[in-house]
Amino acid sequence: MSMGFGSEGPGSAPLQPPLLRITGVSKTFPGTVALDNVSMDVAPGEIHALVGQNGSGKSTLIKILAGYHQADPGSLAWLNGEPVDLASTAGSRHHRLRFVHQDLGLFLELGAVDNLALRGEFITDAVHRIRWKEQADATRELLGRFGLDLDLHKPLAEATPVQRTVVAIAAALVGWEGGPGLLVLDEPTAVLPPHDVAKLLEIVRGVRDQGTSILYVSHRLDEVFEIADRVTVLRGGRVVETRPVQGLDVQALAELMVGADVDAGYRAGLPAPDGREVVLRARDVRSRFLGGVDVELREGEVLGVAGLPGSGRDELPYALAGALAGATGQVEVSGQGWLPLRKSASFDIPIVPADRGREAVISEFSVGENLTLSVLDRFGKFGWLRRRPERALVGQWMSTIEVKATGSGALITTLSGGNQQKVMMARCLARDPRVLVLCEPTAGVDVGTRQAIYEFIADRARAGLSLLVSSSDTGDLLAICTRVLVMCNGRVVRELVGDEITEQTLLQAMEETEQV
Amino acid sequence: MTTQLPTDSGRSKRALAVPGSVQHAAGRVNWRAGLSVRNIGAVYVLIAICVVFSIWAPQTFPQVATIRQVLDGNAITALAGLALIIPLSTRTFDLSFAYVMSLSGVTAAHLVVSDNVNLVLALLAGIGVALIIGVINGFVVVVMRIDSFIGTLATGSLVQAFISFVTDNNTINNLKLAGSFTTMSEGTFGGVIYPVWYALALAILLWLFMEYTATGRRLYATGFNPDAARLANIKVNKLRFCSLLTSAAISGFAGVMLASSLSSGDPTAGTSYLLPAFATLFVGATVFKQGRFNAWGTLVAVLMLGTGTVGLGLVAAPLWAADMFTGVVLIAALSANAFQRSSTLRGQAGQFRRLTARFRPAS
Repeated sequence: MSMGFGSEGPGSAPLQPPLLRITGVSKTFPGTVALDNVSMDVAPGEIHALVGQNGSGKSTLIKILAGYHQADPGSLAWLNGEPVDLASTAGSRHHRLRFVHQDLGLFLELGAVDNLALRGEFITDAVHRIRWKEQADATRELLGRFGLDLDLHKPLAEATPVQRTVVAIAAALVGWEGGPGLLVLDEPTAVLPPHDVAKLLEIVRGVRDQGTSILYVSHRLDEVFEIADRVTVLRGGRVVETRPVQGLDVQALAELMVGADVDAGYRAGLPAPDGREVVLRARDVRSRFLGGVDVELREGEVLGVAGLPGSGRDELPYALAGALAGATGQVEVSGQGWLPLRKSASFDIPIVPADRGREAVISEFSVGENLTLSVLDRFGKFGWLRRRPERALVGQWMSTIEVKATGSGALITTLSGGNQQKVMMARCLARDPRVLVLCEPTAGVDVGTRQAIYEFIADRARAGLSLLVSSSDTGDLLAICTRVLVMCNGRVVRELVGDEITEQTLLQAMEETEQV
Repeated sequence: MTTQLPTDSGRSKRALAVPGSVQHAAGRVNWRAGLSVRNIGAVYVLIAICVVFSIWAPQTFPQVATIRQVLDGNAITALAGLALIIPLSTRTFDLSFAYVMSLSGVTAAHLVVSDNVNLVLALLAGIGVALIIGVINGFVVVVMRIDSFIGTLATGSLVQAFISFVTDNNTINNLKLAGSFTTMSEGTFGGVIYPVWYALALAILLWLFMEYTATGRRLYATGFNPDAARLANIKVNKLRFCSLLTSAAISGFAGVMLASSLSSGDPTAGTSYLLPAFATLFVGATVFKQGRFNAWGTLVAVLMLGTGTVGLGLVAAPLWAADMFTGVVLIAALSANAFQRSSTLRGQAGQFRRLTARFRPAS
C-alpha cells in the first residue's frame, strides 16, 4: 500500500496535500467484507485510475463516496482538507465531489436542456416562469465547452452513447467553474464503441486541465495507460498498490489485479470445423438493421459477429434466436426443415442477452431460481415444481461453471457481474441446446472470470456445441472464435477465418467498411 | 472454487429476509430468519393488536365470538384479495374485479329469482359471465397493449354501465334468495361461515400453485422482468392473458358469495371491495415472501386489518377510527418495505431502469 502521495504523480507538486484522502475505509456486508481498511489519495489535478476485478470493492468504494453506502466506523476521508462524513447516507457527500455513474443517471426522454437544468436549477423570471431561451443558451455554452454539438431539445434517447456520456459529465459539473474538486467517472466508456473512446478521453483531459482531479474507474486497462497519472489496484477489498502508471504495462497491471499470471492474449485455439455437420442455417435475415444476412454454423464452431454499433451486429443474434420483433427470413436447425424466423423459438435456440441487467437477470430471484428459469418443466410431471431435482440441477451447474456464491439461495444481485454472467449461461445451457447464441459474453466481467468464461465456451465447443458470439469487445472474438463475420449496414462485408482473425484485421475491417 | 452449501452462521437478518432466500437456501427453513420482523412484521402487528385490545376491552375482545366475527366478516375480502394474486404477480392490475363481483352476483341472483335455476348453475353462470369479462380484459391489456391499470379501469366502468343498463340500478330482492341461495355463504361449519373455508382452500391452492408449479415461478418472473422472461422462452403474453382469466373467475365466485350473503343482487355491491383487496395484497406482499404477492401474506393482512376494525368496534370507537386505523396501518406496513428498497442502490437503479426502459429507442 503506497501512501507516498504527492511525490510521484506528474500532475502534483511534491508534498502538496492531497485533494482527496481516505484512510481505513472498511465496509462489511452480511457475509462478506467488501472493503478492508482501504487508504488512498488523489492529488490535485491528477487523473487517478481505480482498477480491480468485479468484486474487488471498487464499486463499493465509489458508492461509499457517493453516499449510497455507509462506511464502517473508523473510516475517514478528507476533501480539500475538510473532513467528509462517510457514516451518513446523505445523498451528496460534498459539493466538490461529483459523480458520473455507470448508468449515467440521465432522463433519456428529456432533452439536454432539461437534464442539465434538473441538476442545477432552472433560470426563471420574477414569476418563476422558466426562461427557455436563456436556459438553452446556458446549456449550449456549457456543452460547447466539451465540444459537443447536439440538438438540445431532442430526447437524449436519440443521442449517441458518447453524446449521452458527455451530457452526463456536463450535468455532473453543473454549477462548477473548474478548480479543485473531484469528479468520479465510473466505467464511462463501458458502452462506447472504440472510436468514441478517444473522444471521451480527450474531454476527460479537458476537465482535468480546468484543475479538477479525476478518479477514473475502468475495466479497460488500455485506457488506464492512455489517460491516468497514477493507478490504484484493488483486490478482494484491499489496496494492492498505488503507483504511477509510467513503467507499468498491461500485463503487469492485469497481474496486479488478478494476483497471478494472467494470459491477456488468451487464445482458445479451437480447430476449424471444416467438414462437420452444419447445425444452423439462416437465409435472408432482414429487419430494421439487417439487410439480408445468411449464416451457416457448423457443429463445434464458434462463429463471431463483429461490427460497429448500428451495423446489425447487435440485432443478428436476437433475430436468429427468434427474439427480434419484425425480423423476417428463414432458419433451419439440424436439418429439420426451413421455418420462418419468427418461429425459430421452436428450434430451441437459447440466447444470452447483451444487457444482462435489463434482459437477463431477474434481480428479485435467487441464483437457483434464475438458473432454472427456462427448464422449469423438468422437475416434475404436470408442471409440478419439485424442489429436490431443482436443487440438484442448480448444484450441478453451479459446480460445472464454477459460480462463486454463498449458496443457490443467495439473491442473484449479491453476485459479481462475472458470476451473474455464468449463471445466465448456465440458464441457457441447462436446456441442452445444439446452438447457443451469446451476446457480449464478457461485458462487465472481470479479467479473471473472463478467461474462465472463454475456457468454458471452448470446452463446450469441443464437446460439439455450436456458438454464435456477437461482441463489441474484439478481445472476445480473438480469444474464442474460429470464424468471424464482420458486419456493416446490416450486411456481412467480410468473413475472417482462423489465422486471419487478428486485432488489426478486425478493427480494419470494421472501420474500413464504415467509410463505404 | 465453488461454494455450494450456504453457511448460516454469518448471515444477518437483512441478507436472509430477501425473497426466496428463507426457504430456498439449502432447502431448509431458517427459523430465525423466518421469524424476523422484516419477514413477518404483519404477524407481529396482528399479535400487538390482539394484546392491545385484550387489555383495552378485557370483557369483550378476548372471546371466541370475536374470532368468529373477524373471520366471518372478512372472508369475502379475503376472496377478493386472493383473486388478484396471479395477475398482480405478473404486474398486471385488474381493477375491474370489483365490478365483475357485482356483475356475477347480480347474474346469479337474477337467474335464481326469475328462472328458478338451481344453485350450482347460478354459481357457474356467475363465474361464466365473469370469465367473459376476463377475456375482454385480456384482449384490452394483452392484445391491444393498453396499460393494465387504465385498461381494466375502463372495462370495469363498462361492466358497471352494463349492470346499470340491465338492472336499472335496482337491487334484486326476493324471498327466493333467502333460502338455500343464502345458505351457500351463511351456513356454518366448525363455527365459521362457509366462505372462510372457501378462502382457506383457495389460499392453499394459490400457495401450491405459485410456489410449487413451474407456471407460478414463471408468473413471478414475468412480473419482475418481462424482457428477461421472454428471452428465457416464457410466453409472457399468454401468462398475462390467463392471469386475467383467473382473477375474473375467482372474483366471479366471490361476487356470487357476496350476493348470497346479502340475500340480494345489488348492482354496486362489489365496488366497496376494490380498495380493501388491493390494500391487503400489498401488505401481504411484505409478509413471508418479500416482494412477491402471496396467499398467506394476503390472509395475514386481511386478519390484521379485520381484527383492528373489529376491536375498534368493540371498544365503541367513533366511526372514523376504523378508516383511520386502516390508513395508518397501510402506510406503516408499506413504508418499512419501501424504505428498505429505496435505501439501496440496487433499488434506485432498478427503479430508474424500469422508468427509462420504456423510453429507450427501439432496437
